[in-house]
Amino acid sequence: MDTISSSIIPAALNLLFSGDPELWEIIAISFRVSGTAILIAMPASLLTAFILAYWQFPGRRLLISIFNTLLAVPAVVVGLTLYLILSRQGPLGEWKLLFTQTAMIMGQIALAFPILVSMGHSALQSADRRVWETARTLGASAPRSFYTVMREVRFGLLAAMFAAFGRIIAEVGASMMLGGNILHHTRNIPTAIAMEASKGEFALGIALGLVLLILAFSLNALLHHVQGKGQLTT
Amino acid sequence: MSSSPQLQVSALNKQFAGRPILINVDLTLHRGKAYLLSGANGAGKTTLLRIIAGLEKPDSSRFDLGQGPMKWRHCRSTLQSKTLYLHQHPYMFDGSVRYNLGYALPRGLTRELRNERIDKALEWAELNSYAKTPAKTLSSGECQRISLARAWLKRPDMLLLDEPTANLDQESRQRTLDLLVALKQDGISMLVASHDPAHLSTLVDSHIHLDNGKTICLEHQEQIPRGNSKITPIRRIKA
Repeated sequence: MDTISSSIIPAALNLLFSGDPELWEIIAISFRVSGTAILIAMPASLLTAFILAYWQFPGRRLLISIFNTLLAVPAVVVGLTLYLILSRQGPLGEWKLLFTQTAMIMGQIALAFPILVSMGHSALQSADRRVWETARTLGASAPRSFYTVMREVRFGLLAAMFAAFGRIIAEVGASMMLGGNILHHTRNIPTAIAMEASKGEFALGIALGLVLLILAFSLNALLHHVQGKGQLTT
Repeated sequence: MSSSPQLQVSALNKQFAGRPILINVDLTLHRGKAYLLSGANGAGKTTLLRIIAGLEKPDSSRFDLGQGPMKWRHCRSTLQSKTLYLHQHPYMFDGSVRYNLGYALPRGLTRELRNERIDKALEWAELNSYAKTPAKTLSSGECQRISLARAWLKRPDMLLLDEPTANLDQESRQRTLDLLVALKQDGISMLVASHDPAHLSTLVDSHIHLDNGKTICLEHQEQIPRGNSKITPIRRIKA
């Protein structure tokens, strides 16, 4: 314990605040991959959540159950499935995407999608049905009415987005299997932490862990801030 | 009725969970007229309004908007564009009163024209002092006036109102009624569901009563029959 407090944590803080290029490159890769995955997953997942909340069709409840079940699927299983698809013998092997950031983004989209659908669906379900009806009867087109509903439940959707982002930026299984933890290319925060810990090099791991902690705190603080603003104005 | 029919509905049926709500309803509404829609709780008033507004799908029906009879699904978008349905408790979007009024304006207007029309609507509904107030924080009466100001901005052919004066105090009720009369004078026809016909006597021209899922159309001032089983249609308006 003495070693941690006396040498590892100061070394980690030094790495973090001295602008260590390797550490900040890993952080940049993490944010780029996870940010891209969220941005790609958001439109389709919100549309899916909206359809599940507002339309009645056969199999709707089954679909909701499937998305809720997918929340519990381990990242490594998602990684393994995509690995088999993208590997040389797999159906998409010719695309040569394995061990690239694109493959990592695909894995993180697969992880984020059910979270966004499930939490988005809950947020939309709690919305007043009169939002859609008022928008439509006031002459808004279907896309504008959709946007209006999304605007009314924006805090719930923001919470879904933060939850999904927090989950995918910290997952190690899919990133390791699909990215391969290649320095300067696919090494992100969680894969770097796992590798550094296995080498017994804790300083870099602790520094990266601190980044994840600061990120989690910042996202929560931001969410509380905007929700608080919403309560004041509504 | 001297004016031409604006909307004719025939053979309209609607069930909820196997229970018939509206049975072979025939209805003819004329341009510029205001109709009171009465009936007991659960008689189907709100359902009928929502179907005419294009918000609720009937099981079967024929609608004639002046272009010959057609199925509801074929004229749904026309119904949505030509009518405006006001909920019993109007929904206010998250934003200021100005934002809520601006929502009723068509897109593509210049900022100046948009602001000018919103200012006029605020003045029309006597809401000037609330322009920047979050609409969700206002009282029921003020929300009702915002919803009518939105109607004033949208200028629909027909206004469908669900209990517009319910749960309002005397003053708010009178102000709501004054705005409704003003909208009617602008040529907007109305179908007003209400349990309280006496308060709407200065507004409505005709009276439609829903009973056991069927419509009975009565002329203005005529008494609504009491007792569900002994109703004699005084005058049924046919398409």
